Amino acid sequence: MNTLPQQLANGLLLGSMYGLIAIGYTMVYGIVQLINFAHGEIFMTGAFGALTVYFYILPDGTPMAVAVPLMLIGGGIVAILIAVGAERFAYRPLRGAPRLAPLITAIGLSLALQEVVRNFYPGADRARAFPGLDATHDLGSITIKDADIFLIVSAVVCMAALAYFVRKSRTGRAMQATAQDPDTAQLMGIDTNRIIVIAFAIGGFFAAVAAVAYGLKYGNVDYRMGFLMGLKAFTAAVLGGIGNIYGAMLGGLVLGIAETLASAYIDEIPGMQQLGGQSWANVWAFCLLIIVLLVRPQGLLGERVADRA
Amino acid sequence: MTDTKTTPVTPAPTTRGVLPLPTAAARPLLLAGGIATAASAFLAWTWTAEFPGDLTINGYPGGLQWLTVVAGILTVLFTLASYDIRGLGWLLPARNTAPLVLTALGAFATTWFTIIAISVELGGLANLEPGGWIAAIAAALPLLGALALPQENTGNAKETFKASIAKAEKIPAPAAVSPWIERLVITVVTAIGLGVFTYGIDTEYGELFVGYLITVVFAMWALHTAGLLDRFSRLVAHNRSFTLAMGFVAAIAFPFTQTDDHYANIGVNILIFGTVALGLNIVVGLAGLLDLGYVAFLGVGAYTAALVSGSEFSRFSGVQFPFWASALTGAAASLIFGVLIGAPTLRLRGDYLAIVTLGFGEIFRIAVNNMDGDSGPDITNGPNGIPSIPDLNFLGFNFGQSHDIGGFTLGRFANYYLLMVLIMAIVVLVYTRAADSRIGRSWIAIREDETAATAMGINGFRVKLIAFALGAALAGLAGTVSAHVTYSVVPTPYQFAGSTPPNSAFLLAAVVLGGMGTVAGPLLGAALLYLLPEKLVFLQDKSLLAFGIALILLMRFRPEGVIANRRQQLEFHETGQLDVPEQRIDDTDDTAVSVTKAGA
Amino acid sequence: MRQRSLVILTSVLTTGALTLTACGSRDDKGGDSNNSGGSTTTLTIGVDAPLSGENSTTGLGIQYGAQIAVDDANKKKLVPGVTFKLKAYDDKAQPATGQSNATAITGDKTAVGAVGPLNSGVAQTMQQVFASANMVQISPSNTAPELTQGKNWQTDKKRPFKTYFRTATTDELQGSFAADYAYNGLKKKTAFVVDDKQTYGAGLAKIFNEKYKEFGGKVVGTDHVNTGDKDFGSLVTKIKNSGADLLYYGGQYDESSLITKQLKDAGVNIPLFGGDGMFASTYIETAGKAAEGDLATAIGVPADTLPAAKQFIETYKAKGYKGDYGAYGAYSYDAATAIINAVKAVADANGGKVPTDINDLRSKVVDAVQKSDFEGISGKVSFDEYGDTTNKQLTVYQVEKGEWKAVKTGTAK
Repeated sequence: MNTLPQQLANGLLLGSMYGLIAIGYTMVYGIVQLINFAHGEIFMTGAFGALTVYFYILPDGTPMAVAVPLMLIGGGIVAILIAVGAERFAYRPLRGAPRLAPLITAIGLSLALQEVVRNFYPGADRARAFPGLDATHDLGSITIKDADIFLIVSAVVCMAALAYFVRKSRTGRAMQATAQDPDTAQLMGIDTNRIIVIAFAIGGFFAAVAAVAYGLKYGNVDYRMGFLMGLKAFTAAVLGGIGNIYGAMLGGLVLGIAETLASAYIDEIPGMQQLGGQSWANVWAFCLLIIVLLVRPQGLLGERVADRA
Repeated sequence: MTDTKTTPVTPAPTTRGVLPLPTAAARPLLLAGGIATAASAFLAWTWTAEFPGDLTINGYPGGLQWLTVVAGILTVLFTLASYDIRGLGWLLPARNTAPLVLTALGAFATTWFTIIAISVELGGLANLEPGGWIAAIAAALPLLGALALPQENTGNAKETFKASIAKAEKIPAPAAVSPWIERLVITVVTAIGLGVFTYGIDTEYGELFVGYLITVVFAMWALHTAGLLDRFSRLVAHNRSFTLAMGFVAAIAFPFTQTDDHYANIGVNILIFGTVALGLNIVVGLAGLLDLGYVAFLGVGAYTAALVSGSEFSRFSGVQFPFWASALTGAAASLIFGVLIGAPTLRLRGDYLAIVTLGFGEIFRIAVNNMDGDSGPDITNGPNGIPSIPDLNFLGFNFGQSHDIGGFTLGRFANYYLLMVLIMAIVVLVYTRAADSRIGRSWIAIREDETAATAMGINGFRVKLIAFALGAALAGLAGTVSAHVTYSVVPTPYQFAGSTPPNSAFLLAAVVLGGMGTVAGPLLGAALLYLLPEKLVFLQDKSLLAFGIALILLMRFRPEGVIANRRQQLEFHETGQLDVPEQRIDDTDDTAVSVTKAGA
Repeated sequence: MRQRSLVILTSVLTTGALTLTACGSRDDKGGDSNNSGGSTTTLTIGVDAPLSGENSTTGLGIQYGAQIAVDDANKKKLVPGVTFKLKAYDDKAQPATGQSNATAITGDKTAVGAVGPLNSGVAQTMQQVFASANMVQISPSNTAPELTQGKNWQTDKKRPFKTYFRTATTDELQGSFAADYAYNGLKKKTAFVVDDKQTYGAGLAKIFNEKYKEFGGKVVGTDHVNTGDKDFGSLVTKIKNSGADLLYYGGQYDESSLITKQLKDAGVNIPLFGGDGMFASTYIETAGKAAEGDLATAIGVPADTLPAAKQFIETYKAKGYKGDYGAYGAYSYDAATAIINAVKAVADANGGKVPTDINDLRSKVVDAVQKSDFEGISGKVSFDEYGDTTNKQLTVYQVEKGEWKAVKTGTAK
């Protein structure tokens, strides 16, 4: 049986999730040059927000067609609140501070958010079951389930909406201007603080979409789910060219596919039998990142070389 | 040491304090309150010994009560100094009131923390004895007094309060004293420092540690606003090598003050962590390269040492290097890795380098976790790691056994602690020499502006590679000792982020928190980051939460690190040293003399 | 005037020094008066496990398992004149922290023994510390054979530390028991073996792999995952393609519950078989319907056949303790009980009083633990010449209608 189509589909799905989360990294970075390492945790809180809607707000037996949009809204609200709150209370006071200070804040925030969920969300000290969309469909040699379709569709819709927003809307253009030159943008009458908040909010919402997709696909969520996903998404954002929203999605897809294919096929290469399998997949993903950056230091779609040491 | 907190001097008439009390009553209240606070600690605060430290005995303070005593005495001392009591004038060179407010706040916070901790832990205010109530009231008195001190009123309560704890505008320079007196002062301060630090490490329960932190933070803050820290750092600047020597003497003295090898164990872990942080400081603090995978170099050193240690689990179990050889091998292996990683990637700038180093850190961890002959080449024994690493043996001195030296018993960890002090001395030496050299200046130039530095003829790539390799080698050196200390090496500690040091995120946090580009900063940061999670255990499963919040708050209020590097100082005043704390060159000579005479 | 200030400075320093020394001496006195005052001796049992962060769910199960044992002993006054106290140490699953905890426990002058740790990697750094202090350490969960039987445990068993014991069985027994059941019981002829590259999981999977082949089964593929991985799409496709009848997984329930769900979602309806690391209700809760038919081995006889075990679970739930008792709580209870019983044996041999010299007591407790022989809540508790439990009873459980049901109990060969 030829497994390549199925593996490509696996990679594409994983990659879209990375891409959705990576948007948050890349937008914030593009505007304030801040690596928001706590973004993975914002993704995680989005998942718990959605879980709350399903288990504690909606009546039992709500059909998924009704529940999913409401969960998206619930998760989105939680993630946006936390993202914007983090910006307002943790990052904004540090805007004039040394460049590495926000990074340490982000690490602290990341720990704190994980621990808040673990300590205070009922049953969150271990994985919690999440409603699934488990009906499967066979498309030739590929098997996918409803959650996968939800993930792909929402990734496409989100990207299209974001592209439209950034290009056409007034705020979107203000955002581009702020990214290019914050000082000039401010002189032109753009409220840069508002733009930064909007960037955090959009990042938070996209993370929540990814989180709902994650829950529907894997069937459970836990307080540590954000850490690795966040790390991967950050890698994806850099791979695609940090600061570029299309780059983030492309980087996510490339990373997801690379990881899946490495895990699936590296051990079939003669001499590499021992270096294959899922436990080495991250190594190959990072190797790919390093090679890409060596050839294209600004990332796949990055345009300018950030001159910030 | 922030300048931002100082408000501009306006010759505005000083009005009444934050609290509307007669100003004449303020200082007596402060004095009486300070004495009452210290005295209240001699009462029983609670009825049961269940609260750690046993605060039930009349006439004999215990645990947290001692901290109240110390904080109370400090308040009294500063108040007396403000009364111009002879002999105490040096405590308040600038005659400002901020130290009074801060010591009073410290006494209040320490005491009330204890009272609240008793009520929360034992479940209710009913657990307080009358002594506890007296202490709570007594500790509030100096605070009331302090807030009633005359203070310029800005009309805004928040601003007024800020001004009342601001640092003195001008700190008169001290009268010139003989170098011997200077050295004596440094010695005494070092001794006190050792005492304070040892007390912190030895705190047996978390409540005491938190109380200790509160007391120390307020005391240091008070000393800072009084201008004493500035004065002391000037002394240090005059006697650099003497201070360094005293620092090491204090470090060596530490295990001799301990009866329990557990604290030497903590000490050695802090030293290992601190040494690696210092190595990272070369990369991040001096050369400005953000490295998120630095812990891998510690791992390379540790694994190399383990492989050549003669452990039967090692792939090369027949090989047993003497320690000097394995230390050099470990450092060399790390250096080679540093060059291998650095050479292709150092051409990247800024955050791209960060993610690549993060990637390499993860690659290292995953690789050693897989190289067990099953899912990779048989080198590192995979997740089982390499256990049974034998203890070091120098010329018949077995590190694994207790030795009696001059009446003191040094346990196993004390031996390793002393070895680590030696290693750290080497690292500090390398660090200061390198930072002081041509290459060190190039690093700083690159950090400040790579383009300009390159234009001035600095080979950016070369000096960055040297920084990277040197940092790696120092971490590797620390790793070789850590392998022997813990008897085994396993892949788990060498991760990007975790809940306990060392990991790359914590190393970076130690550097940033302590103060980038300084020697003392990362060491202090490392000590703090190691002790906080260790001592917060009493919060049980909320300890990590508290730690995360502590990180956020520390960065919020002190983003430049506890010991800030005066970059301007370095650039404009050519002191030639990296960690010279803040000085006010401009006012040393002219204003200084007259005022100091009055002060002394 | 300068001199005057120096005098004051010196006096402050002296006061400080006195403060420190006074503090120390007072605390010691406090401890003494405690001991003599109530005419009971307080002895501490240290428990070391990851209590915060990753693995803390399991770690807390160990802590409270031991806590219940200590409470039971105190309630029953098992050792007259002795009150036991549990002191928990958090190792955060980090070796260096575990070692530091070990020195803290051995430095505690009231400590007689320690329960823990959870992770074998942590145990390696602790064993020597306890051996030097001659204090007993019983792990409820370490399964790596090297810890008790030395490096060449397959050919030449040699016990490295006589103070180290465990109430958990080694990977060897569990792996071969599982292989036997998979091949002979379930009649599954081909298997795919996956592990999580941790000491426990990799060891277990390796032994299953070897034994399964010995029985005549065919291992059609192997793979390794990382702890924390969530997406197993690639692995599932591989398993599907391999046509295996069974998936054996060495590791914890965190990953295995995800794997089984993704496996079944992809239409591969083969059972997942694992070790005691995934024998927990959480596995079923998180995997949902996908867990149906999956299997796990666990040590001892089923808990519901022993009243003491039922009692334990009820107490745990009634006290509202956090964490998961399912995985190692019962072994932790037995480990703590073994120490308590050893203290009792020492006291009995000493005319009903525990030796006052703590070092003497510790070394006698080590010998007494070696001779342990009582009915614990996970079965009979006694140790062989390597410090391993002699309880070689193993049970295979299968998920049936959302619950673990014992399907076979036997003794490992």
